[in-house]
Amino acid sequence: MGEIILTMKDIDKSFPGVHALDHVDFELRRGEVHALMGENGAGKSTLMKVLTGIYTKDSGTITYEGETVEFHNTHDAQAAGIVIVHQELNMIGDLTVAQNIFIGREFKKGLMIDDRKMIRESKKLFDELHIDIDPRAKMSDLTVGKQQMCEIAKAISHQAKIIIFDEPSAALTEKEIEDLFAIIRDLRKQNLGIIYISHRMDEIKVITDRVTVMRDGAYIGTLITSECTKEDIINMMVGRVIYENPKTHSMVPEDAPVVLKVEHLNAGKSVQDVSFELRKGEILGFSGLMGAGRTETARALFGADPKQSGDIYVNGEKVTINSPEDAVRHGIGYLSEDRKRFGVVVQKTITENSTLATLEKYMAGMFINKAAEKAVAEKYIAELDTKTPGADQLVVNLSGGNQQKIVIAKWLVRNCDILIFDEPTRGIDVGAKNEIYKLMNLLASEGKSIIMISSEMTEILRMSDRIVVMCEGKKTGEIPIEEATQEAIMDKATRDIK
Amino acid sequence: MEKLKQNPIVKKLGFNRIILFCILLLMYGVFSAVIPGFAGSARIMSILNYAYFLGFLALGVTFVIATGGIDFSIGPVMFCCALMAGYTLNTYGAPVIVTLLMSIAIGFAFGCFNGYLVAYVGVPPFIVSMATMNIAKGLGSVFTKTQSVSWPQANDPSGIGWFRNLVKVGDIPTGLIIFAIAAVALYIVMNNTRAGRYILCLGSNKEAVRLSGVNVRKWQMLAFVICGTMAGIAAIFFVSAYTTVQPGLGDTYNNEAIASCVMGGTSMAGGLASIGGTVIGVMVISLLQEGIMALRMTKEVQMIITGLIVIVFVYADVSARRRRN
Repeated sequence: MGEIILTMKDIDKSFPGVHALDHVDFELRRGEVHALMGENGAGKSTLMKVLTGIYTKDSGTITYEGETVEFHNTHDAQAAGIVIVHQELNMIGDLTVAQNIFIGREFKKGLMIDDRKMIRESKKLFDELHIDIDPRAKMSDLTVGKQQMCEIAKAISHQAKIIIFDEPSAALTEKEIEDLFAIIRDLRKQNLGIIYISHRMDEIKVITDRVTVMRDGAYIGTLITSECTKEDIINMMVGRVIYENPKTHSMVPEDAPVVLKVEHLNAGKSVQDVSFELRKGEILGFSGLMGAGRTETARALFGADPKQSGDIYVNGEKVTINSPEDAVRHGIGYLSEDRKRFGVVVQKTITENSTLATLEKYMAGMFINKAAEKAVAEKYIAELDTKTPGADQLVVNLSGGNQQKIVIAKWLVRNCDILIFDEPTRGIDVGAKNEIYKLMNLLASEGKSIIMISSEMTEILRMSDRIVVMCEGKKTGEIPIEEATQEAIMDKATRDIK
Repeated sequence: MEKLKQNPIVKKLGFNRIILFCILLLMYGVFSAVIPGFAGSARIMSILNYAYFLGFLALGVTFVIATGGIDFSIGPVMFCCALMAGYTLNTYGAPVIVTLLMSIAIGFAFGCFNGYLVAYVGVPPFIVSMATMNIAKGLGSVFTKTQSVSWPQANDPSGIGWFRNLVKVGDIPTGLIIFAIAAVALYIVMNNTRAGRYILCLGSNKEAVRLSGVNVRKWQMLAFVICGTMAGIAAIFFVSAYTTVQPGLGDTYNNEAIASCVMGGTSMAGGLASIGGTVIGVMVISLLQEGIMALRMTKEVQMIITGLIVIVFVYADVSARRRRN
């Protein structure tokens, strides 16, 4: 670790009704990877937005390379050498890799753009980073992992001195994460300061030098990674260590009836001849690698995407599901992995979102019974312990975990018996994660049946009564929880690839 | 200022709407001061005549804009309704009531056509309504053999001019009463019924609403149907206030109706709509048109002004959204 490059001192920021940052301190040295951790809503993103000029701080000072600075927008910050690599990639699919990297500052030859020089410069960048990407490739042809590498290359081409990674690994495969870490280690060697935001505890231990933990907008402490344990960090984040106990045996009674039967489901390349059964009160885990076709199976089953063939039986009766409307009518609810796009209407209130799937039950004649509607929204705010000032709050103002609770409330209001949770805890912090787990177990014990798609092995093993494994669009195995091990699942999840 | 914005009454009415209403009063004051004889009931009647038909157009298109769509066909559709119904009245001697219902039916049919193409076939609203605009113009011209149509006067000896009572009985502006009732009804539709709720929600995030098991196509189409039907009703109020309808026209009213909506706080991005705001916006445009006429400037000047109004208010909306995010 080198000298201090950045000091944020006493940073304070309030939004109407929320004290987002409560006199927070943060320090970064050259040549270190510094993890910034905390539950969703802890203020990590806000702190980074203050740093890069997206938000203006109410008070406090930022010292960067020995000088007090205040950036007014990301451009200023970028010019000074502070760049963010976002979780959502900001690349233009139809342009080439080189064109994306030099977008907005293209090399010119007279009036024309000098594509050849951009390709040469990109190549040089990639060589320095030991990345193997063709600068002439179209961005949309690259995998998410490769796209992220391009984003990093772009950041470095800005003469960056500080790079902020905001949950960089969320969409990456194991192999891609390894590549990413290799690059980060390289950057560390080049004496850059790196801020690494992630929820994945294992990664923090592997890649970072120090950890700063925030909770509820306040600075909790900074630890040296090699000198602390996972539990230490979690303790600081939530102030408590709790987790639902992993299941060792199925909680489903022997005689529980089959509530959902799917036979020979086919939908394009990603869903090929998938059959399975779901029983009452069961949590059926769907495991597999990225692109195994789990989400596609769920969407085809739910009628969100068209399917070519396949029979679906609900409570023993054959049903036709051609649209989400059909699925909901048969008591199936779907909680998407991408809440903001597919789960909630963020610009509408909690009340409006809660009754979105059930509005016809909250009518007095032709008109919406707004009092009844609000009452049910408030009931589920209390029941699910959603953190919000009230039911009139716009969903956009809630944290990820609380938005997820709104989606759950939407289906509970509807009284769906079959719930499909697609990556239920993606982007959700440790504390809220456990609440979601508890809730899923409670629902199952009340007789709801749950399909849980998850890419986190620990989550699959902790929650499932039975596990379906998929690989490249096919179901490759079904494992009862009693026999399930990481190895057994991995073996089936890679069966077709080998 | 911030404190004023947080006041519950101000919040309920909408700060921007109050400002717009003040602008309306201010404009009236300025016109009255600058133009001799502007103040008075004759001018107000004239302003209202304009506000009725424009108001129905604007109320209708508010629903389409709320879905995140747009409809550039409403003005020509209104004229097409007025032409076809008027031609049927004059040439075939159909009863007035039948021709009025026919006008509404034609508007309804255009709404179904636009709505079906947008919601079920998936053609972008911009393209659909541009095409329908020309279809409406062409259809009106073909039906009337490219002749203008004159609707009977109030004192027509056969007594068929009774429909003009829809806008005015003696000195009583009956049109204002009907328009107010319609506006209140549509306010309730927008804010207190499933149709309005789903239209606003799908304007904000269509995919999330679809995945909640809502038949989004149906509700999206309904917005266009409401819009088309309102254009048919607007036609009735147009011919009740004026006399002659010429084929091949009507597009200037698109911009005026859309300007009324965006001024009133309906967002072109969808998801946000204000019926009350649209009503005030309509009054502003109608007053503006009367004032410009009284200043002996041409309709073209007004077109420039409404064009600029659309740009300014859409810019204001876009930048407000940007600040919020």
